[in-house]
Amino acid sequence: MGALLFVANSLVVASGVASRGAHEPLAPHNSAPNLAAFALEAVAVTKRFPGVVANDRVDFQLAHGEVHTLLGENGAGKSTLASVLCGLYRPEIGQVLRNGKEIRLNSPRDGLTHGIAMVHQHFRLVDRFTVAENVVLGHKSLSFVLSASEIEERVESITNEFGLPLNPRAVVGELSAGERQRVEIVKALYQGAEVLLLDEPTALLAPPEVEKLFATVRAMTHVGKSVVFVSHKLGEVVDISDRITVMRGGKVTGSVRRGQADVKKLAELMVGREINIVPRRAKSPTGEVLLSVSQVHLEREGAEILSDINIDVRGGEIVGVAGVAGNGQRDLAEMVAGLTAPQHGNVTVCGVPTARSGALGARRAGLAYVPEDRLGTGLAPSLSMVDNLVLTRERGFLVDRKSALTEAEYFIKQLEIKTPGPLTPTRKLSGGNSQKVLLARELFAVSGARVLVVCSPTRGLDVGAVEAVHALLDEARDAGKAILLISEDLDEVMTLADRVMVLYRGKITLEQQGASADLDHVGRAMAGIAS
Amino acid sequence: MIVLGRSIRLEQRMVVPRSAVVIVPMLSVFFALAVGGVFLAATGHPPLGTYLDLIKNGYTSFYGITDTLGLATPLICTGLAAAFAFRMNLYSIGQEGQLYLGMIGGAWAGIALADSLPAFLAVPLVLVFGAVAGAAWVAVPAVLRARLGTSEIVSTLLLNYVALNLVNYFIFGSRGFFRDPTTSFPQGRPVAESARLSPFSFFTDKVTNTYPTLLVALVLAAFLFWFMRTSNYGYETAVYADSPNTARYAGMNSMRLQSSVLLISGALAGVGGAMYVVGPAGKVDPGLLQIGLGYAGIVVAALARYNFLAVIVAAILFAGLRTGGNALQVSNDPVPIAIAVVLQGAVLLFALGGELFRRNRVVISRVGQVVPT
Repeated sequence: MGALLFVANSLVVASGVASRGAHEPLAPHNSAPNLAAFALEAVAVTKRFPGVVANDRVDFQLAHGEVHTLLGENGAGKSTLASVLCGLYRPEIGQVLRNGKEIRLNSPRDGLTHGIAMVHQHFRLVDRFTVAENVVLGHKSLSFVLSASEIEERVESITNEFGLPLNPRAVVGELSAGERQRVEIVKALYQGAEVLLLDEPTALLAPPEVEKLFATVRAMTHVGKSVVFVSHKLGEVVDISDRITVMRGGKVTGSVRRGQADVKKLAELMVGREINIVPRRAKSPTGEVLLSVSQVHLEREGAEILSDINIDVRGGEIVGVAGVAGNGQRDLAEMVAGLTAPQHGNVTVCGVPTARSGALGARRAGLAYVPEDRLGTGLAPSLSMVDNLVLTRERGFLVDRKSALTEAEYFIKQLEIKTPGPLTPTRKLSGGNSQKVLLARELFAVSGARVLVVCSPTRGLDVGAVEAVHALLDEARDAGKAILLISEDLDEVMTLADRVMVLYRGKITLEQQGASADLDHVGRAMAGIAS
Repeated sequence: MIVLGRSIRLEQRMVVPRSAVVIVPMLSVFFALAVGGVFLAATGHPPLGTYLDLIKNGYTSFYGITDTLGLATPLICTGLAAAFAFRMNLYSIGQEGQLYLGMIGGAWAGIALADSLPAFLAVPLVLVFGAVAGAAWVAVPAVLRARLGTSEIVSTLLLNYVALNLVNYFIFGSRGFFRDPTTSFPQGRPVAESARLSPFSFFTDKVTNTYPTLLVALVLAAFLFWFMRTSNYGYETAVYADSPNTARYAGMNSMRLQSSVLLISGALAGVGGAMYVVGPAGKVDPGLLQIGLGYAGIVVAALARYNFLAVIVAAILFAGLRTGGNALQVSNDPVPIAIAVVLQGAVLLFALGGELFRRNRVVISRVGQVVPT
């Protein structure tokens, strides 16, 4: 079994020694590699979690030098399959084969000894360590005394070969999301990975960074490494993949090769029915300015978080603020919602100044707020839907749950919320359904708020739920509400917003009309490239 | 875990069955008795016979149950106090000290104010002063917690020792206000007669140890049960306990919520101490320091899973173990009180362990086999 790893070496000879990941493979050089077999194969893998079959007899093959995408909505089972393949989970039935031979993986470390590594969506790096230190962290065959320069040299040779620009001496805590991802990839390569599993690698990247990642992936497959690309973003995977396997509900629903991929067909395989993604814009002329943010400046512990923010939102329009995560979106939303007071500047909601009147003051002036973190901020997870509906109401000495119960039953019917009942804890609802509860409360609250701040409302939702949420926002716009949509999902901003802005390092760096916005232009602004 | 080719693992229950809510605590008590039985057998006492004696002395005989109810009365209060704070994820373990302060505050009112008052005013006055004193004792930890995030566990625990020394000082260390001036024997100054209640006789001519304050404790438990379910205050504390971020989002005042919960918790424990004054003691009595009713309140709250009505049942169960255990000491085959203490500890341990099985189920399957769900 130990010989299996050696495959890579023979493929790599042509492109030089460095491509072995600057590290000797852990296997002895004693038998010829089996090139005919798949680099990695799953046979009838079944994995259950309480209440769900995450993988139901899944077959999956990854050829040498191939980019194979696992496409599917959230909860389709693609991350579970990737976790089985890297050794994080053990399947209840089924086998994992490496170069045609069955392997038993009890941990990701076992996976590594077989040359399989996974780059997780949530990075597993030590912020206070340097890039080089993180790369060697957890490495099995470290000598007792580490030579920093030697490690840095090896790291540099990997970064050069695969187009992963990184300074090995930089401290990870100061790197951007894209750079951290590169550290994870370099780490996998350093440890001798021949098969890389990338779990939702583009989730935190701006469009130009995605291009860089794709170049790296191509460089890796060029030297015979194989890549599994886990994603739920249809558009981007068509470019990069040699093969796309679509999963839905724990099962494989189809597999297409490069050239046969058709976005519409893939979407149907993902969702199980036909869908149409069409931009939605305001249908009627906009009204008066209901939300006004002027010359806002926010500092925290001496660091500038937001500077010179000016946004006016009129009734009947959606203003979309795009940006890569961590550019001040959350602070902008909390500031508008009254949760944090800015040092300078004003916010008015329906003519009432609210910048310094707290969350309750902003709400009383007519503001509703859908935070990004729906189950830990917008909703109390252990409380029922009924209790969550009264959260932002004016409550007397006693809580009126009776009318909230009627309201909950009405929403469940109208918005097709799938729940065992209005008294079930909201954490038991799926992401899409709990988002519907939150939107129902904030959009149709008894108070009748006219201004709505919405943050990444479809993050982590499947295509069907995304459609439902967008329809609700569109409806609210038609009803004359002023909506400020702050989202890390550029597609979402482009399909919904009447005006598009880009937030970069706490500043609004771009403003365009939604219908005529230039995607390329917006993408570059998100990455901080001046144009 | 793999044993004999079978894999044994815990799986989180999606829905907690109603039966588990009843069966698990009963099993906890059963296993605790089994553990106690081992200790009894090891010390040469027949376990079954001893338990029957314990049940008789603790629950089923006339004096047994009335003693138990009397002991349970302040225990319900400290149990409510612990449950009230723990529900908010505020782990105050200061009930012991707050109980002593309740006794001191109640006794002060009983001595200084109650003389000229009729009983229907004097008794409530003593209870109110006990509550205020209990709340005052937790005021500093409450403010530290709410303002600076100081751990309430440490601050409330340390104040228990201060309270203990305070009682000792008043009775043994000084000839102050609380010391009985009429005798050189160190004991508390008695409160006014109008500030005392006579025990229930339960339609007999016997004198029991159950006082009408039991009814106050029961009403308190029932009121809290109702109030925390229906009021806005109960709602806000539930939201805050579940998710502080959600509370902040909704514009709730977390500092006020945290400090008020700790103050009310302190007041509840304080009332328990004042009940001791109104009932059996009639003065500041260092005997209270020996019973550990404050710490027992934490056990009671845990057993009751912070449910205010269940606190009543848990407190009576727990008090019965104590009175029954005490009675065993003086029987003709004396069983050391340590056995009763072992039992109490075992009950707590198994109650907390049982929680694991209430939330999870055990799944045993052959290795490699798929578990039907």
